Amino acid sequence: MGQILQVVFDALSLGSLYALAALGIALIFGVMKLVNFAHGDVIAFSVFALLWPSVDAVAIIFAGNLPWFLLIPFVLAIGAGLSVLSEIVVFRRFRRANPATMMIASFALGFVIRYFLLMLFSSRPKSISLLPALSQPVEIFGARIPLLQLITILITMAVLIGLTAFLRRTRFGLEMRAAAENFTMARMLGVRANRVIMGAFALSGALAAAIALILGSQTGTANIMMGANVMLMAFIATVIGGMGSLAGAVLAGFLLGAIATVMQTILPPDARAFRDAFVYGAVILVLIFRPQGILSARGTKERV
Amino acid sequence: MGASVIRRTIATPVFLSLLLVAFAVTAWAVGSRPFNQTIIDIFLQVIFVVGLWIFVGNSGVISFGHIAFACLGGYVAAWTTIKPMMKGNAMPGLPDWLMGMEIPFWAAAGLGAFWAALWALIFGLVLMRLSGIAASIATFAMLAMVNSIYSNWESVTAATSSVVGIPIVRTVWPYLIAAVLAVFVAWAFAISRHGLALRAARDEPTAAAASGVNISRMRLIAFVISAAVMGMGGTLYAHSIGVVTPDTFYLGLTFTTLSMLVVGGMGSLSGAVIGVLILSSLIQVLRWLEAGVQVGASTFALPGGVQEIALGVVMILILMFRPAGIMGNSELNLPNRRSDKAGQPAPTRVL
Amino acid sequence: MKRLTAFLAATTCLSSPLMAQDDRIVVGFATAETGFMQAYDKPAQDSAMIRIAEINAAGGLLGKQIEVVNADTKTDRAEGAKAGLSVIDAGADMVVVSCDYDFGAPAALAAESSGLISFFLCAESIKAGIQGVGPNSFSASVLAAVQGATMAEWAYTKKEARTFYRLLDTWTEYNKGICDGFDWMMPQLADAKLVGEDTFLNEDASIAAQITRIKALPEEPDAIMLCTMMPGAVSAIKQLRAAGINSAILNGSGVDGSYWLSAVPDLSNFYVPVQGSIYGDDPNPDVTAFNAKYKEVTGGDPSTQYTYPGYVMIDVWAKAVERAGTTETAAVVAELEKMTAEPTLFGPRTFTPELHHQNQARYLIVETNAGKPAVVDEWTISAPIPVADLMK
Repeated sequence: MGQILQVVFDALSLGSLYALAALGIALIFGVMKLVNFAHGDVIAFSVFALLWPSVDAVAIIFAGNLPWFLLIPFVLAIGAGLSVLSEIVVFRRFRRANPATMMIASFALGFVIRYFLLMLFSSRPKSISLLPALSQPVEIFGARIPLLQLITILITMAVLIGLTAFLRRTRFGLEMRAAAENFTMARMLGVRANRVIMGAFALSGALAAAIALILGSQTGTANIMMGANVMLMAFIATVIGGMGSLAGAVLAGFLLGAIATVMQTILPPDARAFRDAFVYGAVILVLIFRPQGILSARGTKERV
Repeated sequence: MGASVIRRTIATPVFLSLLLVAFAVTAWAVGSRPFNQTIIDIFLQVIFVVGLWIFVGNSGVISFGHIAFACLGGYVAAWTTIKPMMKGNAMPGLPDWLMGMEIPFWAAAGLGAFWAALWALIFGLVLMRLSGIAASIATFAMLAMVNSIYSNWESVTAATSSVVGIPIVRTVWPYLIAAVLAVFVAWAFAISRHGLALRAARDEPTAAAASGVNISRMRLIAFVISAAVMGMGGTLYAHSIGVVTPDTFYLGLTFTTLSMLVVGGMGSLSGAVIGVLILSSLIQVLRWLEAGVQVGASTFALPGGVQEIALGVVMILILMFRPAGIMGNSELNLPNRRSDKAGQPAPTRVL
Repeated sequence: MKRLTAFLAATTCLSSPLMAQDDRIVVGFATAETGFMQAYDKPAQDSAMIRIAEINAAGGLLGKQIEVVNADTKTDRAEGAKAGLSVIDAGADMVVVSCDYDFGAPAALAAESSGLISFFLCAESIKAGIQGVGPNSFSASVLAAVQGATMAEWAYTKKEARTFYRLLDTWTEYNKGICDGFDWMMPQLADAKLVGEDTFLNEDASIAAQITRIKALPEEPDAIMLCTMMPGAVSAIKQLRAAGINSAILNGSGVDGSYWLSAVPDLSNFYVPVQGSIYGDDPNPDVTAFNAKYKEVTGGDPSTQYTYPGYVMIDVWAKAVERAGTTETAAVVAELEKMTAEPTLFGPRTFTPELHHQNQARYLIVETNAGKPAVVDEWTISAPIPVADLMK
């Protein structure tokens, strides 16, 4: 019992990370058909914000020493700010470009952010002691899990519920959903495009920062590549969830987390190193049987 | 179809090849070994990007997976050209016939192309049923699978360890020949019945399907041919530095090649080649600036790391002003003649 | 064309090939000045420069001043090959290549095919030498396998560890090397038992599933052999401790340094083998003096023990050149291969015609207790690891 519960918790906590990231990608894809490859670098950037203004290996001078109730909004604001800035400076000029061009532009932007961090901080991982109180283990129904794992799951749930309420209950949320469904139509019906898109970028950036906080406290390090792996999985989750479908992205995020955890648990030792090959094999299978994604959004279907 | 199409379009591959020859001659005339290596690198990129274009340019489906074929090709170099004794140490699990094999690099390149094409056929049978972004992700999943297997199959690929002992080919000519070959293969495919049908399906999928074009089959053909070119490039890449590892052929190279293709213009073969030449030259110039340039009495140097940032910024700027890439949909061709797109400005002026 | 040549020569600082002129001794550094590897190459290169400066101040090598040429590999393999060729064309007598085997190999191969000695700054794979690059290639560090074997034998002998768990990050050859050494040592330790093993990947966002497997054991193992490296190591260690696993954690040298310790508050029962101590408590006072000198030159303390091999490298090479009376490759290689337990600031070094690497070495054991690392012991494995076992 304890064992199974443990695996469930492991899968949920990994899935939460993927789901949050997938949500960040799906939000932007929904409003402007942009697959944002800079998302992973926004995550990394938000982590490094904790070290500012120092670039030294150990010294945390300012942000990292803030109490948690200031620290969390600070990091979320950094993520949202960078994301909105990237919209204003770069992506605004790509509204009419085809998706491939936008994608490469987002990749180039991510490249710029990454090398900017590399130049400032060098590649040696920086240590950050972020919310150390969360590293304590807690016991639930015979499963001893790190408090952080539990909090990750709870935060994800809270974010999902909050976001659902926001999208369903507020005018802004309604506009955003309408835009995601059919952007041109929404515009004709009076939805202000710039506002909605900026809102999507801000939310997406804040989600990236939330992942940054979780990853930062979980790994205790800041390193330039830390967003890359999560971003890739999230990207895949967005697609197999059904591009543009927020619920699908979340569901697929959890699904991927579960597949990876279960593979790690059940594969024999010799095959465990090949875990990723099995996970990606599963991705191909899902795509073959549900090419439109698990929950496909209307209006994003390919014609042929 | 036939002779007239060839006559109308042959200028494009000829121009592109002449451009490549000009680069090769420059390398030969300069005579510096590092510079020579730079030109070899550019030719390899040309092979990769042209290989990628054969599929992406004609089908309109973005592939994140083509570097997997370069990986397959790269390891063919390791399997067939390393001295049998060294091979036994690094990759003891190879079958005996492969263990004893020691063939010249050009034969390995042919074999690499074949091996990659074979796997493209197998993967393609499954993946080419997909389209749009689902297909893109599926190709990425293929890359990740190949990478995971090659990174962990200790006895056959030496896992993540660099495999050394691959004979190094440092003259520029074989790479030039291969790049020119890639350009001509791409051109031949583009003007073939299959290529035209595939581009028709890209632009008007419903109409093409209605007129009986079997899109998945056309895509499969493009996929296999482009994989063969990538496989050849992968083998030659291995011979250019004498080392292969799986992580050489992963996300980094995937994005480099895709960026060059999109910046050049994925709608045209000329775009694929020019994208490589322009971005590679830009990278080189930035590197020289980073290393320091003598201006009068003082040395001017960019701080380390600025090269990558500048490259990213320039890419964004190019795409901002030319969203369809530098070449758009037009090909390099003789002035006053139109390639298959009417109404485009005479493309040679772009240069 | 001439003007282009002149332009290239001026901009790349590589004028016409100056192949091994007799009045100069040139060391070429084809290392990463930018990108990921820079953080690893730079400190080792700085300490190599310290040794070069010392030799030059003492009158030079064979009566000549050692000159240095540099080329940046940009942490890229293809660039590495170019950088190697650049320094060779600039007249290098010996080519120093990137710390990591994978990134250094292309430049080392370029040196090998030009018949020059290449030295890896701190590669710890047997392939960084005869078995991979070729007969003129050396590494200044110690094989990763020795680290795994050292930790296993030391923990068994001094900590009375009997049950071991093996956790391998399959990301790099270095990680696998540590675990290979551990695997080689284990059967030689009577009644030591491997109670389980697992793998993960450096970039895994979470190793919760692997931790669950450890927690499922009837008893916590005495020691966990953790074969990994930065940056994933910190994450793995933090998650192990956060899950309440208090076993001793044994590591390779890759996790040395105090720069990351604040990430795992009050870390204890944590052991790392190092060639020299950066913590100011090395049993050899000369090492502490070196640390001071390093700070004077670079403005910062050494951040890990990987600073040291660069110094050792120039030291042994210069001695071999002095003994051979020339920088000619064959003669210098022959002198290097005669070195048996050659004393250096960071322990004895041995090179043989079979192995250009250390398959047995004296290691200091650094224990981290309540977040404070300190040297607690010194250990040399009881027998060198046979080359045949290293090659499998």
